[in-house]
Amino acid sequence: MTAVLEVSGLKTHFFTHAGVVKAVDGVDFTVSKGEVMGLVGESGSGKSITGFSILGLIDQPGRIVEGAIRFNGEDIANAPEAKLKAIRGNKISMIFQDPMMTLNPVLRIDTQMMEAILAHEAVPKKEAWERSRDALGLVGIPSPEERLRAYPHQLSGGMRQRVSIAIAFLNKPDLIIADEPTTALDVTIQAQIIYEAQKLTRQTGTAMIWITHDLAVVAGLADRISVMYAGRIVEQGQTDDVIDRPLHPYTVGLLGSVPTANNRGERLFQIEGMTPNMLALPEGCAFAPRCGSASAACKVPPPVEHIADRELRCYHPQAQVAAQ
Amino acid sequence: MTAPLVEIRDVSKRFARRLDVAGKIARKLGADIREEVVHAVDEVNLDIREGEVLGLVGESGCGKSTLGRVVAGIHAPSSGQLLFEGSDVATMSSADKRAATLAVQMIFQDPFASLNPRMRVEDIIGEAPRVHGIVSRSDVPDYVDDVMRKVGLDPSLKRRYAHQFSGGQRQRIGIARALAVKPKFLVCDEAIAALDVSIQAQVINLFMDLREEFGLTYLFISHDLSVVEHIADRVAIMYLGRIVESASTEEIFSAPRHPYTRALLAEAPRLDQRKRDFAPIEGEIPSPLAPPDGCFFNPRCPHAQELCRQKQPKLETFGEAHSVACHYWKDL
Repeated sequence: MTAVLEVSGLKTHFFTHAGVVKAVDGVDFTVSKGEVMGLVGESGSGKSITGFSILGLIDQPGRIVEGAIRFNGEDIANAPEAKLKAIRGNKISMIFQDPMMTLNPVLRIDTQMMEAILAHEAVPKKEAWERSRDALGLVGIPSPEERLRAYPHQLSGGMRQRVSIAIAFLNKPDLIIADEPTTALDVTIQAQIIYEAQKLTRQTGTAMIWITHDLAVVAGLADRISVMYAGRIVEQGQTDDVIDRPLHPYTVGLLGSVPTANNRGERLFQIEGMTPNMLALPEGCAFAPRCGSASAACKVPPPVEHIADRELRCYHPQAQVAAQ
Repeated sequence: MTAPLVEIRDVSKRFARRLDVAGKIARKLGADIREEVVHAVDEVNLDIREGEVLGLVGESGCGKSTLGRVVAGIHAPSSGQLLFEGSDVATMSSADKRAATLAVQMIFQDPFASLNPRMRVEDIIGEAPRVHGIVSRSDVPDYVDDVMRKVGLDPSLKRRYAHQFSGGQRQRIGIARALAVKPKFLVCDEAIAALDVSIQAQVINLFMDLREEFGLTYLFISHDLSVVEHIADRVAIMYLGRIVESASTEEIFSAPRHPYTRALLAEAPRLDQRKRDFAPIEGEIPSPLAPPDGCFFNPRCPHAQELCRQKQPKLETFGEAHSVACHYWKDL
């Protein structure tokens, strides 16, 4: 499979008055054509900043200090704004948690959708309009002609998110970054949105990075899963491997924290302590203070270890601990 | 079977948007303007037995939070009765009413909005028991320490303000505030929805420990089926202000009857389902301002027939306290 996106050694730091926040601190991953990668982490783990870094959406006081983001073979980390503008919304598009981050409240849907096409392609307006209409139809919006004339506030939350997905797919991008796109939605609406996104990636071969805190969502959707903690990917691999045979103690803890039918009424496994303060990260492995397997070795940051086709940052993989 | 602690009898809660002066004049002149009325809760009947955890599940706008607020005494019901330990709250003497209100406490979703930012933690927790004479003024500091320890907070932090705590700790403060007045019954309205996964597990465990320690009864309101499945003994499913199904947790999850319950269960993402094909039910939740005729779920229901569009189904009970509001539940 051809790699659409290769991120290597990415470091995005924020230089605040209180100190340097290493929001993303050495992240590597690859996304292939047609692949869905789930990027999972809790709030503050740097998963969204990773997504923003790829699109060059990091504002002051933050910047990409190190690393490469190769998109179709070309490094776009710290690329000039003009180049990023040509890529954004065209070759790489983004779906945000709040569709109103994509949609302009004072413009009609048709204006916004046609603008997204006309910004990247010189086509007649009529064609742009037709493509917009078809895109709305594809994401399951009934009577798309009428909806095109609507303003965002006239649509429900689920409908707005569909429109922003339609906009993301408009220019047949190679990569879509979806940042918690269903977190604010109800269960039945969430299933509809995931269904549309899944259908479109399969039809078009678009690669997708699905950023979420909800392991259950990516379990059903993603091909591969990367788990982030405090700015680093601590474990990544095939979905089945990561969920059925987690190696990193943090992944094990996260999975144990999710209530399922199997542990009804029992105490849930809990990870002790709190998510760390990003201004004062512990030395070495950031998870060590909350980890049951931590040892003196954890004072040194664990390197990335390759076990079969998985990557792991831990001195104490849990499968080995269990085997002993 | 223990007697119900709380009985909800035909409780409805309506919110009306009153006409302004211009609207009233326009109506006098013959314009067709009516007050808009939302039936947030529509003739709900529920019993909550002492010591049990009742999970109340539904999507946004279904009235689950409003029902929780009615039960907690924040809203008065528009019609119907709310019975606490067998007596109607509306007709109680004021002393009994105060006792009943104190015995029911609420824990809110947003731990950032539900704590007064200008009060120290010791005051947030200690104010109510002092005012209500549960502990004497001189014993308040010790009492606060005690409550804080029970919810897993370090009492040495009690001079701090709420903003100095993380989300999970704030939720613990909210729980401590509720526990401080020695309630029998806690209404938890999406109490863990705003927390990270690892912190959620800590708070769920805390709820289960407290239940054991104090024999608490819970109304646990959530949109998250897996959390409810974990913690509840019985589950009620709400859709547009009405209960569509209620049964024991086992039954709801193993043999759901109502098409909406089935859809919810099928569509909730689960860890054990991989690379699945999502096949969602169609349509959106109708506006509560203009609910459809007949069964409220009929426009989205794959089994809807003519009767469903005309007649509202009644809640029927069968087996061991399994109730369902669907004309065709026997055939599904």
